[in-house]
Amino acid sequence: DSTNTSQQRPSCSLPIMAEDIRQDKKANFSALTEHNNNGVTRTSGLASNKTGASKKLVIKNFKDRPKLAETYTEDTWLKLRDAVGAIQNSTSIKYNLEELYQVRMENKQECLTLSYCSPAVENLCSYKVSPTLYKQLRQLCEEHVQAQIHQFREYPSRASVLSFLKRMNRCWQDHCRQTIMIRSIFLFLDRTYVLQNSLLPSIWDTGLELFRTHIVSDGAVQKRTVDGILEQIERERNGETVDRSLLRSLLGMLSDLQVYKESFEERFLTDTNRLYAAEGQRLMQERDVPEYLHHVARRLEEENDRVISYLDQSTQKPLISNVEKQLLGEHMAAILQKGLSILLDGNRVTELALLYQLFSKVKGGLPTLLQHWRDYIKSFGGEIVGTPEKDKDMVQDLLDFKDKMDNVTQGCFNRNESFINAMKEAFEAFINKRPNKPAELIAKYVDSKLRAGNKEATEEELERILDKIMIIFRFIHGKDVFEAFYKKDLAKRLLVGKSASVDAEKSMLSKLKHECGAAFTSKLEGMFKDMELSKDVMIQFKQYTQNQSEPSQIELTVNILTMGYWPTYTPMEVHLPPEMVKLQEVFKLFYLGKHSGRKLQWQPTLGHAVLRTEFKEGKKELQVSLFQTLVLLMFNEAEEFSVEEIKSATGIEEGELRRTLQSLACGKARVLNKNPRGKDVEDGDRFNFNNEFRHKLFRIKINQIQMKETVEEQVSTTERVFQDRQYQIDAAVVRIMKMRKTLSHNLLVSELYNQLKFPVKPGDLKKRIESLIDRDYMERDKESPNQYHYVA
Amino acid sequence: MKVKIKQWNGVASWLWVANDENCGICRMSFNGCCPDCKVPGDDCPLVWGQCSHCFHMHCILKWLNSQQVQQQCPMCRQEWKFKE
Repeated sequence: DSTNTSQQRPSCSLPIMAEDIRQDKKANFSALTEHNNNGVTRTSGLASNKTGASKKLVIKNFKDRPKLAETYTEDTWLKLRDAVGAIQNSTSIKYNLEELYQVRMENKQECLTLSYCSPAVENLCSYKVSPTLYKQLRQLCEEHVQAQIHQFREYPSRASVLSFLKRMNRCWQDHCRQTIMIRSIFLFLDRTYVLQNSLLPSIWDTGLELFRTHIVSDGAVQKRTVDGILEQIERERNGETVDRSLLRSLLGMLSDLQVYKESFEERFLTDTNRLYAAEGQRLMQERDVPEYLHHVARRLEEENDRVISYLDQSTQKPLISNVEKQLLGEHMAAILQKGLSILLDGNRVTELALLYQLFSKVKGGLPTLLQHWRDYIKSFGGEIVGTPEKDKDMVQDLLDFKDKMDNVTQGCFNRNESFINAMKEAFEAFINKRPNKPAELIAKYVDSKLRAGNKEATEEELERILDKIMIIFRFIHGKDVFEAFYKKDLAKRLLVGKSASVDAEKSMLSKLKHECGAAFTSKLEGMFKDMELSKDVMIQFKQYTQNQSEPSQIELTVNILTMGYWPTYTPMEVHLPPEMVKLQEVFKLFYLGKHSGRKLQWQPTLGHAVLRTEFKEGKKELQVSLFQTLVLLMFNEAEEFSVEEIKSATGIEEGELRRTLQSLACGKARVLNKNPRGKDVEDGDRFNFNNEFRHKLFRIKINQIQMKETVEEQVSTTERVFQDRQYQIDAAVVRIMKMRKTLSHNLLVSELYNQLKFPVKPGDLKKRIESLIDRDYMERDKESPNQYHYVA
Repeated sequence: MKVKIKQWNGVASWLWVANDENCGICRMSFNGCCPDCKVPGDDCPLVWGQCSHCFHMHCILKWLNSQQVQQQCPMCRQEWKFKE
């Protein structure tokens, strides 16, 4: 029964049908009992038998089966046929309706369905003429449906598609309505005879079958209908408004007739494919990618809407996947090549989100996007890192770039884990493409942020910047280069008192420790410790000098460095004025008295001083380096000196001296006059003290000119890192060999790569192994030269 | 006098002063540290014996602990006494 209902179109819902059947059966039974009434002697019920007096119940056979009039079957059929004919031709039925119909209204209020059932049919069925009745009815319907085809066959070929479709729809609607009414009349037949013979289709199904065979299966008619539907859909796709309810009804017809798939869907999908293939090709050429993406999104939405409005639900999957394939799948590489960098460059978040969303629907879409995304990061980042002219902005650019990419993964790529990982991978790849320089610049960037005078950031902002830097830093392979430069800059900050905030320094240190382990930062921590120890020493020294007979005019503070922690400074001998030498001696005596077994080595390059100077304008305090001090002190003795005189008097190294003089005579604050004037210091230039010096501040800082120094420093720092690396390689080789005793070259190298934390070329490793063999730490196997033995 | 020093911020590094450059036990430089330490400096000090031989403190202590009978300087075999 349920299979029957599912194929039936309107009017009856399942519960009502069930009710119908039950009632029918009851009615049937009661009819029988009425018929047999005379044969059955009714007892008054079992309850009355309690008395025990037995009464006999006698059941007798009918004497004669009641007979219908000879012509009853014939007459009734004629009436029924006329009724059906009237329904089919929409004319009124001339017979007494009451005779044909027994109208029963369901008791339940909510069921407004009227159930028609003809007692005539019921009667006929009772007299076993159901097969004939069924055949006759079928015949009748078939004739009627067959007659319908002509209107379509002969439909003028010039008439519009729409009017044809409308005609078809009307015919279909009529057919449905008629079949429902006919079924109502023959409900009894439908429910008894048809239901009991599983091979016979129900009246409704018969109707469908007839309509299918005689109308829709007609090749020309079907083609015209489907063509019409397809044309309407294409019109709609081109932006016209079409009669959607008409389409819905016709497509409903096709699926009711079970020809939807072969007659319509296949052609529809082919058409769709062709249309969107062409559209994809064309629009990819004509439009830029963002516009195209929006177009695709709109198309998908339209097609989904189409499914909801009039297509069969089963079409959704193939249709959408078709559209996605033609508009996206075919053009994935082109879209990404043409558009991804534009979208990312322009930070077009909406389109990127759309791109991700669309690509996630297409097979292989996300992996392709992922690949291009990785490539983009690599090439964009490679540009940032690989352009030496832009070195000064490199780190800031990297930070901005990382921020932007983070933003994209968060906002547009749904925080997809594999995209985040690909980004990390890409960053690591491009940052290490250029060795050493990024590490150096990151260290310098940190220095610029931690140095005093960097007022642009509050503590919290600074902290956030440092966190971001650490993320970039994590990608760097040669962390030792970073450490070397960081250490050098940290030393400067600490010794010149330029550090912006001790808290920030400590926080950076703990970040580095967290990232690279305690060994990485132990020296840096040592530097901080030295600074604190020096502070204690200076407090003691102050007490010590107060007890001295002749306290010096100069207030001396000394930072005492433990050699191993700090960067190596080239020792430099300079001539200090007697007063300073004396003070130095006092301190030395004091310090060595406290720490036996040590000696002190002064680092004049790192010293600095505050000078009290008198100009015509008034007293000023100059904050200068030790070299600048030495030069300025000379002008206490005379008005004018030549470069050569200054050099021999101070003992400062030539290049250093020139820079010092330049800073004093050619910089912003010119406390010396150079003669002749000019930017650079030449041989034979003469200098005198600038008494006219004016400045709005009382305390003036004169910076040492650093340009050239940095280059030298940079080279030497890098060189030192490389030297350190060689020792580390040597140590690692010996460590491994000592443990393994015998090892093949390849295994040794792979273990080395596991242990070493900086990038090395295999060639360099080979050289170090060679050198260790020369120094008898290990030897080659006599038979196989690829085998090494440890030499104890 | 036009120019006078008010404050002077000097910087000096300290080194160990020892007769030898290397520790006689571990053969490492005195200005480096003993093999058990990671960084030189106060944490890895030098000590002198009365025989005037000098070692990393960690090295000589290790040596002395390993001697069962008599505590001798590993260089000159004299009885080891720390120099005050």
